[in-house]
Amino acid sequence: MKADRIVFREVSKFYGEVLGVNRVRLDLEPGMIGLVGPNGSGKSTLMHLVTGLLRPTRGEISVLGIPPDRPHELFQQVGYCTQYDSFPNGATGLGFLRYALALHGRGAAEADRTARETLERVGLSDAGDRKIASYSKGMRQRIKLAHAHCHDPRVLVLDEPLNGLDPMGRAEMIELFREFAGQRRHVIVSSHILHEVDLISDVVVMIHGGSIVAEGTIRAVRGEITSQPIQVLIRCDAPHRIASRLFELDHVVEVRIVDSDQALMVRTRDADDLYRRLNRIILDTEVTVEAIIPADETVHAVYDYLIGDTGDAR
Amino acid sequence: MTGVSWTLWRRQAWVVARQELSRSLFSRRALAVYLLAAMPIVLAVLRAVFLPEKLRQDPTRPTTEFAQMFQFFILRFIVFFANAVIFVRLFRGEILERSLHYSLLAPLRRDVLVAGKYVGGLLASTVILVPSTAITFLLMYAAHFPLGAATVFGPTTLGHLARYSVVVVLACIGYGALFMLAGLFFRNPMVPGILFLGWEVLTPFLPPFLKAISVVHYLNSLVPVPPKLGPLALLSQPVAPWIAVFGIAVVSAVSLLLCIRKAWRLEVTYATE
Repeated sequence: MKADRIVFREVSKFYGEVLGVNRVRLDLEPGMIGLVGPNGSGKSTLMHLVTGLLRPTRGEISVLGIPPDRPHELFQQVGYCTQYDSFPNGATGLGFLRYALALHGRGAAEADRTARETLERVGLSDAGDRKIASYSKGMRQRIKLAHAHCHDPRVLVLDEPLNGLDPMGRAEMIELFREFAGQRRHVIVSSHILHEVDLISDVVVMIHGGSIVAEGTIRAVRGEITSQPIQVLIRCDAPHRIASRLFELDHVVEVRIVDSDQALMVRTRDADDLYRRLNRIILDTEVTVEAIIPADETVHAVYDYLIGDTGDAR
Repeated sequence: MTGVSWTLWRRQAWVVARQELSRSLFSRRALAVYLLAAMPIVLAVLRAVFLPEKLRQDPTRPTTEFAQMFQFFILRFIVFFANAVIFVRLFRGEILERSLHYSLLAPLRRDVLVAGKYVGGLLASTVILVPSTAITFLLMYAAHFPLGAATVFGPTTLGHLARYSVVVVLACIGYGALFMLAGLFFRNPMVPGILFLGWEVLTPFLPPFLKAISVVHYLNSLVPVPPKLGPLALLSQPVAPWIAVFGIAVVSAVSLLLCIRKAWRLEVTYATE
């Protein structure tokens, strides 16, 4: 098993006769990994499996070379922010983190110092002595994130981590995740807000009905969806002139003038050829081009093509 | 298994034990245990107040009366239910409040987790129940104080107190392990708890080979004054003290091993609980 990867080998999980996930094969390198799928698609099951909170019915999982059924080794390297909005009765923010750090073998002074630093990092330093039961939804989300990363793990698993946070809080947390991923660590994030997944993920894993429907960079995943022509937006001052030339290309299936005659939406079955020929066309037509943007290389578009509107992951 | 691992596991177990001790002593759930522990003390106070003067002159009376009270009230009711409340909740309580995953997301061997929780529960039950038993015992004898302190609190009396205290500790060890097991295996541990209580209450009336599979049978063998069990009881010889202690140790060890086995297989599926 590879020591810097998270690997699923033909992993299935059944709850009695109900399917959780089915024959999942994944090989995840360090970086930001977005996990996307509608409610009930198996996202949380997958995250529980990575962290050993569930055991696979079939198959094998390895997290940095460690099987999840060895919690004493796994959680030296892994932190998990679950979706459960519940905490030990009577715990304060500071006490909650100190206890977690004490279980990591930290001495009292070190645990206290690290807990306070972590609280500061998630913007809760003033609320550390308050009971978690009195926290707002956003504060509870922050303390869960603090709990997940206070021991400086190499793998962060985050189930809907931005729920309940205000826009400023979301931006701060996304920055924190990026910082983690930038240090060659795994950050696995599930979110039902596709725009956010798009913003933060290097790689996306799309799951539907317990099966992985796509995995890779958005561009790579989009490139594999051959049934849907690729959309390219060209912002320019004279879209008509380019449009007439584009119709000559046999892989172009549609050209529309959009944005009040300021742009052109092209649908093509061969984006590489389009990009190659576009320079010549622009030079020939003497059009001033402001931007050429792949219009459907987004999680949202890919999600729509692969999963459709059946889910609520919007 | 290195020395470093042992040191870490011991430290982790102690961290868990301290947490459980604190929860068992100072949380709202501790109230039920304190109320149970207060009941024999209240009874002993009432007895001390209302005991007729003539009976106060009988020096053997507190010995026999406490023996009966210990057998049928303290051991079978107070110690039994207090341990049920403390130990069942060690795992079941976390499942019900949906916070078990925090324990399972720690870098802890599951056997260390079980050991820590058990030790925490044991310390809590001992800290509450031994003083409760001792205070009740002393109040029973205090009602006979006019006979003179030397007569009431002689070496024999204090020896009895020490043995009753040991029996309470052993009861916590045995019942604690069994109730922790019940909390791990049953969604509603009250049902097996009540069946178990029925078994323990019926023990005096069971044939010797069935007595052997109850905790209270071994505890009875250790009490300093055998209780009067009535005409329907099937008498059997008490087992030797070392066998009694060994029997309770075996019951506890087997229960803890089953707890550890179950803990290694625990999954977090709160929706089905």
